[in-house]
Amino acid sequence: MNTEFEKLKIVTRYELLKQFRRKRFYGALVIVILAQILVIGLYKGLDLPTALSKPSLGIIIADSPELFAIFMVSMTSFAVLAAVFFAGDAIASEFEHKTGYVLFPNPVKRSTIVIGKYLACFLATLVILSIGYVISAIALLVLYQGIPVGILGSLAISIALVFGVLGIAFFFSSLLKGGMGATIATLIIFMVVSPIIRSSLSYTGHEPWFLPDYAGDAVSSTYNINFAQIFGGTLSGGGMQGMMTMTPNPVVSFFVLLIYALVTLLASIWLTKRKEMT
Amino acid sequence: MLTMHESIVIENLSKYYNGFLALDKLSLKVKSNEDVALVGPNGAGKTTALKILCGLIHPSSGAAYINGINVVGERERALSNVGAIVETPEFYQFLTPNETLSYLGRLRGMDGRELKSRINEVLKLVKLDEWVNIRIEKFSRGMKQRLAFAQALLHDPPILILDEPTLGLDPRGMVEMRDILKKARKEKTVFFASHMLAEVVKVCDKIALIDHGRLLVYDSIAHLKKKYRKSLEGVYLKLTEGAI
Repeated sequence: MNTEFEKLKIVTRYELLKQFRRKRFYGALVIVILAQILVIGLYKGLDLPTALSKPSLGIIIADSPELFAIFMVSMTSFAVLAAVFFAGDAIASEFEHKTGYVLFPNPVKRSTIVIGKYLACFLATLVILSIGYVISAIALLVLYQGIPVGILGSLAISIALVFGVLGIAFFFSSLLKGGMGATIATLIIFMVVSPIIRSSLSYTGHEPWFLPDYAGDAVSSTYNINFAQIFGGTLSGGGMQGMMTMTPNPVVSFFVLLIYALVTLLASIWLTKRKEMT
Repeated sequence: MLTMHESIVIENLSKYYNGFLALDKLSLKVKSNEDVALVGPNGAGKTTALKILCGLIHPSSGAAYINGINVVGERERALSNVGAIVETPEFYQFLTPNETLSYLGRLRGMDGRELKSRINEVLKLVKLDEWVNIRIEKFSRGMKQRLAFAQALLHDPPILILDEPTLGLDPRGMVEMRDILKKARKEKTVFFASHMLAEVVKVCDKIALIDHGRLLVYDSIAHLKKKYRKSLEGVYLKLTEGAI
């Protein structure tokens, strides 16, 4: 009989195969590639550094590989979005679509199934994320003949962000009955709840370092570029300005995201163990 | 007292669903190589009992053992002896039968040539050998039921726990799956829930008739027919009189 570690490898392998067979994987991959091509065109075509400069306020923003990298890498956020769609139905679908009637009567622990599915979703997202970073690196090499060191820190935070996002999506996937509900709940946390709390805290001068979307923004703060200088005084519309005037600390953000990942994954395992195939 | 001659032991098993009593202190024992059908009206608790045996739901009280191993306490070890079909199972639509059976076989410790050869064998047995590498998303309900049979038999388990195993099959499929069960019963313990008494008579020697989660009778079909001087259908109707 296999050990649980061997079973974990088997679950991960076949769950990954399932992810690679889904159209949403290739959809996310195409979106990331197209978004990055678009950013190259817009950045160079519109001369964004000049557009962001405000000479009347004494803000002159020079074109640099670091600034270009921020724009390029921000497009990999589509990969993170894909992670939500990969993970949203990972657990819920076993109950919703009754596939659990085949999987669960096997001699494998539910914790092994959850962790295997989690790793498969992570690896599928990592493929898209890595391609996004490779395109960024190639563009930087071609246009600037160099790659800023900060891109490595950015990649590390992106990976932590994927872990955190997947954990939250798995938590909802274990908690809720449907995969769609779990996906929407995760998106609401990242795109509605967290930004509302974040902007409220930012306006009152409190740094929302513990919020997942703020911590995720650290993917752009590893290049030693001041967010407040670039975005704070230039974005129109007012609403987002307060959110852009603080720069997340990369190290703190990295650990915040890992803590989100760990806590939510443990909660997901606990919930899945208790969940019944009724 | 558990003995090694008992493949399945259910002891005072009760299950509540949000206050609704689905199983009411159900107790029964299935000896090794016995073939027992769990029959009863809709909502009698048949599927609930099978789900507890397969570790899919938790009992509210009582215990269930497979080959002497507590299903609740040592779920994985108990299930290593079981092949199961519960309710109307669905499969991962992006995988093929070959990939699905490889996945499940590997989880049960099978590998390499042994697994490959066994997959071919069971797919041939359920007549899906021409669909080995076709994605399951293209399969009909009956084909999925055949695949469910294949996964239950894949690791050649000593115990089969089956819930309405011929559901969704066409008449030919029913006969073919029944034949597989008839062969299996010679060397395996078969415990299955069914509404189809004609099928029960062909496959099993004994029935456990339950209603409202309680055991009404547990005896050999031959003895019941003799005792009540009726067909199995007549016995069933008499014992479940008044049931919905």
